[in-house]
Amino acid sequence: MTITKTDELQKKARRVRQEVLEMCVRAGEGRVASAFSCTEILVALFYGGILRFDTNNLQWEGRDRFIMSKSPGTVGLYPILSDLGFFPEIELEKFCQCDGILGPYGDNIPGIEAVWGSLGHGLGVGAGLALAAKMDKKKYVTVVLLGDGECYEGSIWEAAMFAGHHELNNLVGIIDRNWICTIDFTENALKLNPLESKWQSFGWDVITIDGHSFDEIFAAFKGFRTRKSHKPLMIIASTVKGKGISFLENNPMGHVIIPSREQLEKAREELGN
Amino acid sequence: MNLSMRDAFLDELYNIAREDRRVILISNDFGAPSLDKFREDCASQFIHIGIAEQNMVNVATGLALAGKIVYMYSIAPFLPLRCYEQLRVHLAFKRYHITGVVVGAGYSYDLSGPTHHALEDIAVMNALPGMTILNASDSVMGAAFARMTYENPGPKYVRFDREIFPPIYNGQKDAFSDGLTILKKGHDLTIIATGIMVHQAFKVADELARHSIDAGIIDLYRIKPLNKELLLSTIPESRRILTMEENFINGGIGSIISALVADRGENIKLRRFGVPDEYFSQGGGREQLHLLCGLDVASITKTTLSWLGGK
Repeated sequence: MTITKTDELQKKARRVRQEVLEMCVRAGEGRVASAFSCTEILVALFYGGILRFDTNNLQWEGRDRFIMSKSPGTVGLYPILSDLGFFPEIELEKFCQCDGILGPYGDNIPGIEAVWGSLGHGLGVGAGLALAAKMDKKKYVTVVLLGDGECYEGSIWEAAMFAGHHELNNLVGIIDRNWICTIDFTENALKLNPLESKWQSFGWDVITIDGHSFDEIFAAFKGFRTRKSHKPLMIIASTVKGKGISFLENNPMGHVIIPSREQLEKAREELGN
Repeated sequence: MNLSMRDAFLDELYNIAREDRRVILISNDFGAPSLDKFREDCASQFIHIGIAEQNMVNVATGLALAGKIVYMYSIAPFLPLRCYEQLRVHLAFKRYHITGVVVGAGYSYDLSGPTHHALEDIAVMNALPGMTILNASDSVMGAAFARMTYENPGPKYVRFDREIFPPIYNGQKDAFSDGLTILKKGHDLTIIATGIMVHQAFKVADELARHSIDAGIIDLYRIKPLNKELLLSTIPESRRILTMEENFINGGIGSIISALVADRGENIKLRRFGVPDEYFSQGGGREQLHLLCGLDVASITKTTLSWLGGK
């Protein structure tokens, strides 16, 4: 089921945000703002025909390997995976419950490779998967979604150097550049910019896009399976943390905010129907 | 020719890798003469990761997820400590078929000072659920560990000394599946030693014999999972244990066995020998460091005799 029409993708994105909001409020847990900045990216990857997967055969050899290294946003993936049939929809209601499979960070969840929770691991693991594909002449592509705050981790740059050196052009990174880490704006806390030239100097091709524009996301992924460049690709997706809810948007402390019961109505209203 | 434990291991791993292309060896810029052959003949199975231990574990994880059997090769202090959180998440929690192989156990790099001494690794690895910890005492065991780590899935930490020691297991067919070997039986006490301290244990036992004390010797080469039943069954009627290790006394095999004795409510008297809770920078070599720690044969013998004097 590939969706290409922008308005339908936008509907999916709205539904994802609505589900995430309800799940997190119900559980009193989860990173709403972090999930909202990468909603369009996740929707494009899974509904838009970018990633290859088979929900009837989750361990299909030819599946693309998607790594949610930006682990706080994992809750944004759950409504998509359940909608696509990776696991039953009832699991969304049991988010963080003892009889459910879904927690704030993904482990042993159908559709999620390995375990994510600690920042800075995913790019190196993705590089290992991409290198193994080269060794075994496998066609899958490895896609890693990173947070911008995650790029403070030294291990990210160890992996960046490794992937550049080994010319892993079957590896695609996406940075959810929402400009906010947990307790401040990134450029106030510790400058990440110039981010593009950092990645370029580590041997990566870099494309900068608006991470909420489906057109720009698809344009960035155009021809990504058969890239002529020998370099790995980093897509820096500029986004708004908390996108869609006014009191979360660009709020430097928004990372940990779960709307209260009172705020819930306002949030529901803003996300629309 | 007697090989180092490391070379015996790498030679056997070379044989395995020639037959199974899934075997991948990653080095963080750490070499060995025996590694050169591997690098040349199994070039596509060798990865130089740079001096980047966190990425070593992460890349190993990606390779393991893709079905590879991965070995990470490093000098002892840096693999367990620089990237502990990666080891915790991917090896201990997810239990992939990845083996960390380190050279430079204890005071192996004696002259290099505390940055290069590996004295905490047993304690920190023991804290991780699911880890297997192997500590070799000779090169026969070194070669056997290559086969064991290849055939048994799950995460493992294998610890080798840097120096060459005389063989203990020469000519013996031992699968090393018991986790410990009773090298000598003794009526008066049992010395439980690990790594190179097994060699020290023989010298201590000889000294004690001159004082008519009959000491048994156990080589505890698998520290985790501990073979608890076999270990307890080796304790003589005198109910005395002496533990010997060249790593910090806090969290080492002495601590581990003490906990076992306490948990079982065993009436056993136990004395621990290891590196005290302190870093030593002194030059002069390993023997000097052993003197500072009371790990030399004379000190251990003297302390043991005075301990037994109260029996």
